[in-house]
Amino acid sequence: MAAKEVSSGVFEITERGGKQLATKNLVHGMSVYGEKLIEIEGCEYRIWNPKRSKLAAMVIKKFNIPIKRDSKVLYLGAASGTSVSHVSDIVSDGIVYAVEFSQRTMRDLIGLCDERPNIVPILADANRPQSYAHIVEEVDVIFQDVAQPNQSEIAAVNAKQFLKKDGHLLLSIKARSIDTAANPKKVFKDEVRKLENDFDVGFEVLDSRELMPFHEDHLGVMARVRN
Amino acid sequence: MKIITWFGTLTLDDGGKVVEWDMFSKDTDALAERLIQPKEADMDIPPAGFDIRAAAIECGFVASDDEYDNLLRDVSIRAAKKQISSGTPDMGIIQAVEALDDIDETANTLSERLAEWYGMYFPEVGLSSEPLARFVAKYGSRSNVSPDDRLYEKATSSMGAELTGLDEELVKGFAENICTLYDSRSRLEEYLVKSMETTAPNLVNIAGALIGARLVSMAGGLEKLARFPSSTIQVIGANRALFKHLRARAPSPKHGIIFNHPQIKNSPWWQRGKIARALAAKISLAVRMDVYSGGGLNESIKTELDAKIESIKATHPKPPKRESKGGSGKGKGEYKNKNKMQNKKAGGRR
Ligand SMILES: C[S@@+](CC[C@H](N)C(=O)[O-])C[C@H]1O[C@@H](n2cnc3c(N)ncnc32)[C@H](O)[C@@H]1O
Repeated sequence: MAAKEVSSGVFEITERGGKQLATKNLVHGMSVYGEKLIEIEGCEYRIWNPKRSKLAAMVIKKFNIPIKRDSKVLYLGAASGTSVSHVSDIVSDGIVYAVEFSQRTMRDLIGLCDERPNIVPILADANRPQSYAHIVEEVDVIFQDVAQPNQSEIAAVNAKQFLKKDGHLLLSIKARSIDTAANPKKVFKDEVRKLENDFDVGFEVLDSRELMPFHEDHLGVMARVRN
Repeated sequence: MKIITWFGTLTLDDGGKVVEWDMFSKDTDALAERLIQPKEADMDIPPAGFDIRAAAIECGFVASDDEYDNLLRDVSIRAAKKQISSGTPDMGIIQAVEALDDIDETANTLSERLAEWYGMYFPEVGLSSEPLARFVAKYGSRSNVSPDDRLYEKATSSMGAELTGLDEELVKGFAENICTLYDSRSRLEEYLVKSMETTAPNLVNIAGALIGARLVSMAGGLEKLARFPSSTIQVIGANRALFKHLRARAPSPKHGIIFNHPQIKNSPWWQRGKIARALAAKISLAVRMDVYSGGGLNESIKTELDAKIESIKATHPKPPKRESKGGSGKGKGEYKNKNKMQNKKAGGRR
């Protein structure tokens, strides 16, 4: 067994010929959602399934993930924290602001926050960054997975308020939540064009790839604010 | 510029420098309360690019980055727990709908009593329920009816007995109590409209706030409603005791609550079943949207529904030729239903 770091804090574990993604477990012995724990050379890793996480899929798709050990991350659409827990592993010296607006999933997310030192849960609507601007500081990375029709607008208003000048936006665009009928390729093109032109923060799209075969009709986008 | 942060209020100069500050007390619970309700008029949110962490350290609220992280984390967790333990909003909706029904039942009983009672003194009044209660609460005896009231003529020429002294006081007080009930009824309705709009915007967009609230209440919660198939949604509320309190505008009991929807009520009988099916399907979709994908309003459901109803109306402009049993029965059914209610009321009076 061997662990190779493929992105800051993200490892590729080779085990009996198979390769799996994993992060170093920040809270020893705790599995968050039933994922497997593996011990290699005194280090505990949590297996990270790309089918369950857009971010993990983006790692496998060779995005140059800008999340570092000491990054501050604003995570929009945290859900019950499946992916957030791995981001929390990655930013062991940083902090994750986890925004989720469904009370039901927030319940699970709080359970996770209780176990981990570096997640700040925020029950709020990502459409209204002004409702958490008194809590969240400037961040290095905004990760967004909200599956809403106005995804790019949500990204823009949040980047405007919270993203550092040289910070990055990571975005998962779900074609079907924007237009159920249209061809996903066209939806993706429209969304990228919107990100680049439609808002008062203009984004420069650095990279965009579909997250197939892990997530059907999802586009991963990495962008930064054009200065 | 005065801004609010989770740890205190700050006054910034034009260059964005902190010139004055007022830190909150460093108590986790108190900070959590403030986190939830940061609203303070005349205060802004921190401008983009303002470093609230640096400000917290600079103003001496915390001594280090670590302390900032730990305290903010504890406060946020506390705040989030408070927010979700305040109960899900649909619990409030269920209670309000049931309270509404209780009020209707009580108000109807009392109104019938008032009608009978006041009938002794002004049998020609021709009012019932809320208008009657308002009238009696306002005037008491018909001798007080003002000349500009449209019932003035009738009041002066009435054959009813004189209403005076203690009797007048009693009847009037009784009517005032009924008015209070109707007042609370409208407050409940306002509450329902407001909380439905925030809890289930898509459901409201399709079914309307009050019908939506009834569906939520009868299903036992928004999430439960989301798990019902649309065929069930179509008949929710049929045969419910609730309908016995509804006045003549109630649907015939074999139909669900959605038959109160204007799109169905205002359509000719032969289109109603089809529209109900389409409506129920879209309601089901809307509720799932509200529960599972959360978030904003998705106008496309409404657009699709309107298109579907248009097409139903276009393909079935006329009643079916063959006198179908269900068809002719429907009109009669409603009539019969009305009669039944009147009988019941009459029965109660004796
Ligand atoms: C696809 S899930 C995210 C899954 C998560 N990223 C993971 O991999 O574990 C989308 C989440 O975004 C939340 N969401 C949708 N719209 C939102 C909004 N406007 N504000 C905050 N959260 C939102 C939903 O409640 C849902 O939990």
